[in-house]
Amino acid sequence: MDIVSSLSIIALSALIHASFQLSVSVLTLLSGHSIGAKRSQAKVLRMTTSFVIGAGVMTMLLLSFIAVVLLDTLGASVPPVVWAMACGLLFGVGVAVWLFYYRREKGTSLWIPRPMANYLTDRTKATTHSSEAFSLGMTSVIAELIFIIAPLTISALVLIQMSAGWQIVGIGLYTIISMLSLLVVWVLIGSGHKLSSIQKWRESNKYFMQFAAGSGLLVLGFYTYVAEVIGRTVGGL
Amino acid sequence: MSLTSYIIKQNGARRSEQFSREKLHASIVAACLSVRTPIGQAEVIAQAVAESVIAWLENKPEVTSHDIRLTAAKHLQAHHPDAAYMYQQYRITI
Repeated sequence: MDIVSSLSIIALSALIHASFQLSVSVLTLLSGHSIGAKRSQAKVLRMTTSFVIGAGVMTMLLLSFIAVVLLDTLGASVPPVVWAMACGLLFGVGVAVWLFYYRREKGTSLWIPRPMANYLTDRTKATTHSSEAFSLGMTSVIAELIFIIAPLTISALVLIQMSAGWQIVGIGLYTIISMLSLLVVWVLIGSGHKLSSIQKWRESNKYFMQFAAGSGLLVLGFYTYVAEVIGRTVGGL
Repeated sequence: MSLTSYIIKQNGARRSEQFSREKLHASIVAACLSVRTPIGQAEVIAQAVAESVIAWLENKPEVTSHDIRLTAAKHLQAHHPDAAYMYQQYRITI
């Protein structure tokens, strides 16, 4: 696989990751509580920045970890059967996103179990220091692992076939693109936008985001299957 | 006015507690501030909403925290629709 194709797959995977909303929800809630608790704009900005950095660091660590594990088990050459399994994971998660990602109720309630959502809500409300916000950012990424595992795995499989220099570029690219939605919300909050406008936009577009994320996973799965499984076994591509 | 209404917490997970005007006031102020309302205006709105909720609570020995939230949101809607929206989103954002 050439560099352009590899980076394109990583970029698409990261875009799909960016469309998942748990971290954005927690960031919105964190900002609301911080502003509502009469904290200064500088303090709110410090906390939201720490949260975003925490989410970015955890994304980078997870991608690197999965890549190292795969490299250790498979080596630099990935057999078609592993690609086929990864495609199966993409299809499965894609359909699951279509079916379960948002709850059919008001607001932007996600699939996660209610006690866990309540815990995250309470934890967010109790967050007063930047270090806690950083940990919360990391936790929000781990909490969504069941869905982000699919794009992370595909990216890791692509990464292990690249040279060391390009691997670093790939990890950086994935991390930055996967944080785009968080960065947009962070900029909007930092520039003084109303949280209600952000949340209303998220609520009115939630089913589109769900459809886009699920479809993105299916498209990525289909492309990877054709390029890496059929292409290699038939020997044409 | 002294109220003796008891608030049954969500899902019955925690013990019920006596209604607290201060808690309701603080939550309304926080909702108003979260949509960048000036502090003075937030305090005035919170006071008006708290009074409306207290009037609604009269002769109700027990209500759920969810009922309180719904009623407060309904009154807050008249004063500040954006703040009311954020107030309603509390448990349904994640």
